[in-house]
Amino acid sequence: MKTLVKLEITRTLRNKKFVFFSVLYPAVLYLLIAGGASNAELVEGTKLTLPLLMMVSMASFGAITAVLVGNSEKIAKEREKGWVRQLRLTALPGRGYVAAKVASASVVSLPAILAVFAIAAVVKGVRLDAAWQWPALVGSIWAGSIVFAALGVAIGYLASGDAVRPVTFIIYFALSILGGLWMPTTTFPDWLQSIAKWTPTHAYAALGQAIEVGDAPHLKDVGLLVAYLALFAGCAAWLYRKDTRKG
Amino acid sequence: MTTTASVNTGDGRRTGAPVVSFENVSKNYGTVRAVADLSLDLYPGETVALLGPNGAGKSSTLDLLLGLRNPDAGRVEVFGTTPQEAILQGRVGAMLQSGGLMEEVKVRELVKLACDLHPKAFPVEQVLEAADLTGIADRLVNKLSGGQEQRVRFAMATAGANDLIVLDEPTTGMDVSARQAFWGVMREQTRQGRTVLFATHYLEEADAIADRVIVLRGGKLLADGSAAEIKAKAGARRIVFDLDQPVGEGALRELPFLASLEMSGRTVRIQSHDADATVHALYGLGLYPRNLEVAGLGLEQAFLAINDAATAEEAAR
Repeated sequence: MKTLVKLEITRTLRNKKFVFFSVLYPAVLYLLIAGGASNAELVEGTKLTLPLLMMVSMASFGAITAVLVGNSEKIAKEREKGWVRQLRLTALPGRGYVAAKVASASVVSLPAILAVFAIAAVVKGVRLDAAWQWPALVGSIWAGSIVFAALGVAIGYLASGDAVRPVTFIIYFALSILGGLWMPTTTFPDWLQSIAKWTPTHAYAALGQAIEVGDAPHLKDVGLLVAYLALFAGCAAWLYRKDTRKG
Repeated sequence: MTTTASVNTGDGRRTGAPVVSFENVSKNYGTVRAVADLSLDLYPGETVALLGPNGAGKSSTLDLLLGLRNPDAGRVEVFGTTPQEAILQGRVGAMLQSGGLMEEVKVRELVKLACDLHPKAFPVEQVLEAADLTGIADRLVNKLSGGQEQRVRFAMATAGANDLIVLDEPTTGMDVSARQAFWGVMREQTRQGRTVLFATHYLEEADAIADRVIVLRGGKLLADGSAAEIKAKAGARRIVFDLDQPVGEGALRELPFLASLEMSGRTVRIQSHDADATVHALYGLGLYPRNLEVAGLGLEQAFLAINDAATAEEAAR
C-alpha cells in the first residue's frame, strides 16, 4: 500500500506537463483575475478585498484541478488498459487503489495551493489579520479537496475512453463557476445564487472565506462537504462494484 | 453430454481438497452464453491446460475463477473460499492477457510493487531474475516490446509463493527461446507442488506440459483428461503413405473405418477408427503403399476431431 502511494506520486511527478498545469496554472489565473484589483476596495456584500477573496478561490480551484481532473482521466485510462484488473489480482483491497489515487493527487494539490498563496502574498501584498489564518487556510483547502478527489474517482468509473475528458470538464467548470471560484457569486442573479449556495464548490470556498475573516468554518459548510464526500465516495464504490459485474 | 470424458487418473494426484471448484457455473453476457453449467475441480499439484476455440469461454472461465466477474448461477470456490478472499490471502497468482501495466514507472518499481503487495513475497531481485528482467529492470514499462511486457506480467504473477498460478495465453508474443525459458520456470513451480492452470492456443504446449487437459466449447466442458486420453478419445489413428501408381480418390473412399481422407499428389493422409482394418483393406485393393506410417493423432488433430464431432452432433439435433 505504501509502495503504491509512493509509486503513484513518483509517476505523477514524472508527468511534467500535468505538474506544470496543476501547480502553476491556478497561480497564473490568479494574477490574470486579481492582478488589476486593489487591496483597498471590498467586494460587494463581503468584508473581503478581491485579491484576498480570489486567493482562496484560486487555491481551491487549483486543488480541485489537481485531484479531480488528474484522477478521473487516469482511472478511466487505467481501467481501459486493464491495469485495474491487474491490480485486482493482487492482495491490494479495492479501496487501496482509490486511497492511493487520492493520496497521490493530494501531493500535487498542496504545491498548487502554496503557489497561489505565495503569489498573492508577494505580488499582490495580501495580508491576513493573524498568523494562524495562513496554515488554517492551507489545511482546510487541502483537506476539502478530498471531496473532489472522490468525485474524480466516481467520474473515472462512470465515463470511459473519449467521454471522460468532456464529462470531467463540464462537471468541473459548472461546479467552479456555480461555486464562485472564478468570480464572486454576489454578481449572480438571485435564483442562481440560491442554487450556488448548495454546491460543494461553494461550501468548499466558504471554508476558506470564513477563515479569511477570522471565523471558524461554518458548520453548515463542513456538513455539506461531508455529505458530498459520502455521496461521491458512495457513488465511486458503487460504480467500482458495478465494473466487476459488467460484461 | 455424451462427449464428455470423465477421467480419474488414478495416480494418486487427486487427493485432498480441490484447489478450485466450479459447481454448475453459468455466465451470460446479455444473450451470449459465455459459460454454461460448468462443473470442474482442480487438485493440488496438477498442471492443467485449458483448450478451446476462440469464444469457447476460456477467458470467461478464468475471469470467474479469479473473481474478476461474478457468476450468474452456480458457485466458484478457490481454496474453499471466494476467489477474492483467496487472492487477498496471497494464494493465487495470475497473468492475464487483458491485464494492463502501470505506465510511467520502471520495470523494477512495478515488480517491487507486486512484491510489496504480496503477503508471501519473494525478494524483488529474485523475481526479476526468474522472469529474465534483470537486464531491463530500469526501463520504463511503456517502452517495452510485447514479449517483454508479457515477462513483466509473469513477474507480477510470480512475485510471491502462490499455491495456484493462473495463466491466460502466457507465451503469446514470445519467441521460441523465450517460450522454452518460460516453461522451464513454470516446471520449477510445479515441482514445488504448485497447481498451474493455463489457457493456450499452442496445442503442442498443452501436449508437452499439461498432465491434464480440459477442452471447452460454447462454454461447456467437452473433454477432460490427460493428453493421451484426449487423443484416445478422438478415437482415430493417422495413416500416411505414398502411392506407387495413380489411384482414383473414389477407390480410396471405399476403405473401411475411414474418418477422413486427404490426397496431395501421391501422398495420402487418412484418419481411421481402426487403422489395422484400413491398412489390411488397402492391400486388399491391390495397392502397395510406400513409406507407410501409422501413428496416433497429435493433440491438435485430436482436439479438432473432438470439436468436429461436437459440431456434427449439434447439427444433427
